[in-house]
Amino acid sequence: MKKLLTLALALCMLLSIVGGGAAADELKELHTYEVGATREVESWNVQLSQMAVDSNVTTNLIDGLLTNDPKGALIGAAAKEWSSEDGGQTWTFILNDGMTWVDYEGNIKADVKAEDWLYGLEWVLNFAKNDSANTSMPIEMIKGAGEYYDYTKALTESEGAEVVKALGLEKFLELVGVSAPDDKTLIYTCTDKLSYFPTLATYNGLYPVSGKLIEEIGVDGYRAVSWDTMWYSGPYTVTSYIHTNEKVLTPNPHYYAADTTKRFDSVTIKIVDSTDVAFSLFQTGELDHVTLSQSNLNTIYGNPSNEWYPYLTETRPTKFSYQIHFSYDKKLASGEPDVNWNTAIANEAFRLSWYYGLDAVPYLKRQNAINPLSGTNYVYTGNNVSVNSEGVDYTQLVRDEIGLQYSNEEYARTDPEKAAEYKAQAIEELTALGVTFPVYVDYWFQGSNQTAKDTADVLTQMFSDTLGDDYVVLRQNTYVTSITQEVRNPQLASFLINGWGADFGDPINFLGQETYGEDNAYYSQVISNINKATDETLIATYKEFTRLVNEAKAITDDQDARLNAFAKAEAYMLQHVLVLPWSYETVWQLTAINDYSKIYSAYGIQNYRYVNWETNSDIYTTEDYAELKAK
Amino acid sequence: MTKYTIKRLLQSVFTVLLVVTIVFLLLRLMPTDYFFTEDELIKLSDAQKQDRLLAAGLLDHPLVQLGRFYTKLFTKLDLGLSRRVQTNKPVVDLIASKFAISMRLGLFALGISLVIGVIFGVLQARNKDGILDHIGTAYTVFVNAVPSLVSYSLILVFGARLLGLPSLYSVRKPGPSAVLPIICLSIGSIAGYMLWTRRYMVDELNKDYIRLAKLKGLSTRSVMFRHVLRNAFVPLAQYLPYSILLTVGGSLLVERFFSVPGMGPLLTDAINRYDTNVVQGIVMLYASLGIVGVFLGDILMTLIDPRIRLINKGETR
Repeated sequence: MKKLLTLALALCMLLSIVGGGAAADELKELHTYEVGATREVESWNVQLSQMAVDSNVTTNLIDGLLTNDPKGALIGAAAKEWSSEDGGQTWTFILNDGMTWVDYEGNIKADVKAEDWLYGLEWVLNFAKNDSANTSMPIEMIKGAGEYYDYTKALTESEGAEVVKALGLEKFLELVGVSAPDDKTLIYTCTDKLSYFPTLATYNGLYPVSGKLIEEIGVDGYRAVSWDTMWYSGPYTVTSYIHTNEKVLTPNPHYYAADTTKRFDSVTIKIVDSTDVAFSLFQTGELDHVTLSQSNLNTIYGNPSNEWYPYLTETRPTKFSYQIHFSYDKKLASGEPDVNWNTAIANEAFRLSWYYGLDAVPYLKRQNAINPLSGTNYVYTGNNVSVNSEGVDYTQLVRDEIGLQYSNEEYARTDPEKAAEYKAQAIEELTALGVTFPVYVDYWFQGSNQTAKDTADVLTQMFSDTLGDDYVVLRQNTYVTSITQEVRNPQLASFLINGWGADFGDPINFLGQETYGEDNAYYSQVISNINKATDETLIATYKEFTRLVNEAKAITDDQDARLNAFAKAEAYMLQHVLVLPWSYETVWQLTAINDYSKIYSAYGIQNYRYVNWETNSDIYTTEDYAELKAK
Repeated sequence: MTKYTIKRLLQSVFTVLLVVTIVFLLLRLMPTDYFFTEDELIKLSDAQKQDRLLAAGLLDHPLVQLGRFYTKLFTKLDLGLSRRVQTNKPVVDLIASKFAISMRLGLFALGISLVIGVIFGVLQARNKDGILDHIGTAYTVFVNAVPSLVSYSLILVFGARLLGLPSLYSVRKPGPSAVLPIICLSIGSIAGYMLWTRRYMVDELNKDYIRLAKLKGLSTRSVMFRHVLRNAFVPLAQYLPYSILLTVGGSLLVERFFSVPGMGPLLTDAINRYDTNVVQGIVMLYASLGIVGVFLGDILMTLIDPRIRLINKGETR
């Protein structure tokens, strides 16, 4: 019996050691950073703020209706259920029980109620309160939102801002399609059947604010709300904040989901001057992770005996999908049209020669020297924006349409034979139109930015190697401060490489930027300038693409059919190379945090919530991370 | 003296207002695209941009805006709200929360620089062409020749790795975390004070009255400190109040490097973010400090050297 007891005790001890060891492996306190004073919080007012640097913090302090999981899927936050009874025109959200507002010291101030979302949206749409920030998506998607915004704008002009600031909810509820029939129920009426409307519920525009807080500190007080005057309903509160120095977040003691949410005992966010300083802090143990600069990465990767070599790990791609955006109405410095370029780029064979000829790998190596192909991008819409009923990512549907798949082995789009064929065809067709070769391609970058200069050199060489100096020559130009003022507005660039991140989870957020003759199509208006182009074949191609997009957009009762239709429209755009998909950003790091346990969403503001993170008290090795990625 | 003081003060107020007005109008000459971030330029429609500018009062004529600015300044001592550095925070509060930190570090650094720089400068002058003089000259050349960021990096590596000092400034634990920023702030000023003290001392040492004093049998120590240093210190003293007041301004490089939440990077940040109210507030502060500093320097000079007069036969200096 004693032996049995001894054995049982030993087993218990062993289990406790194993169990304890596993627990001890997790970081209790997180030390993270942002680079540069411009990465400091500008506004603590979640409705007003439009900056990622703000929402990276505030998303931890206030819970929106929904959030995302590490795969990007929508999950409940303040709302425990959400549904639509009419195919997406009306959406009902049911809130969790037991939610409270607390101040920064953890004192309970009020219950979180459905009407707090009414106050939040009223604030966003009120011209005099919110400086027109974060209005575009609510106006586009919520019935009556635009009318209320216009009403407050007109009233501000006629009666003055103070009158409009004093508005309560009466007029708002009369005009806007939102209501709170009880403390736990919130109903939105959309402008149309919008299957993707819940993705907007992760975004600033649909965040709550307590009416009692506005009453307590006044409208101007809430406009200027700070960490020590705001109320919190999220997983953390801010307990210390020194502007451009550090912020300390500690768990909200009254968080309604405390039992089901893993949080750090504290999160310290430091502002550092550069990634080199961050690396220095990481080496002294003052940070738990660091993203490596190109030079630090080269130093470590170039020397296998470097102490950090076994710990190099790759980040997941950021949500921005980078494209080469052509200008179809480029100007010369004199303001005259660049006829040679405009004629050439309107020719489909010319564009196709780029599509098949340009090998992006040297460019991808600039940002990821170890594994450049992880930055490969063959489609226009960003990864993870939307999935079909079988869980297939929308971009996979597009890649199936165009017949390109990602691979760690090769850059699959390049086809020198096809490129040569299209080049010969383009030269023949364009020579007949009076185009002279080589066609000069004006590429612009900021003159003071050495990294941008190095990238421009790589691009120049890449064009020379793959397309030939007899055909196109990349001409480097520099601007001083503003690419918009100095390059984009005067239409001086032949192309711009630009990244787009989704605001909500539907391909229209991407494709809608490229359509022909539509006011809200940003890229068409200010980069491709397609609406000013004169080539009839090109315009016809754009019109067909626009028709396909609008056809897909009109499908509101079948999500799979909608995505398939968008995929066809996007494939059409790519097959005619109206834009040229280019890259994703992936970088290398040293970290004690499992990136695959973090929220990873292609839209919204949820990615920086410090909840349910898996961490390791030691730095993850390259092998550890390969396993985590495989899982 | 009173008349002189009043006249200088009035001139100072006029100069500050002139500077602020010029800066105010220059900022309004900037294209309004700078009002928006590149992201906002991408995502906002033209109508939305106009609405944002309208709400910010930037569509009014610059002179109307200037009138509004001065009305608020003179009636409420209100410099307006920060637009982006700390959104909607009063500019006065924003500056107040930062200048004390910069000034504290700056005063420590100035005190250390003054003591070490002057003492070493005296020793260099006394041992001209000796070993101490060569060491001091080498230090001065090194500090001036090596780019600041390189020397700061060396200090950071040495201090953090070998001595275990914190790499970043912490307001919560200012003691040890202030050591490296203060050292970085001091190294340049020490070299400056050494250089000028030595130079003025050597100049004085070559003058006839010093030879006479030595011939009269005064001790070297007495000659050096009672006569030479006192006279050599006059030109240094003129800039002392200016240096003290300018500690408020902080150091852009050092404060960025060690994440000191002071005044140093504030002006460039505000310009980069088109935060015009903050820019105007800082310009007004710096202009005032500069003018007051020079004025106090003149006064201090007359106190140290009674031969200097600010008013001569009814005219200002």
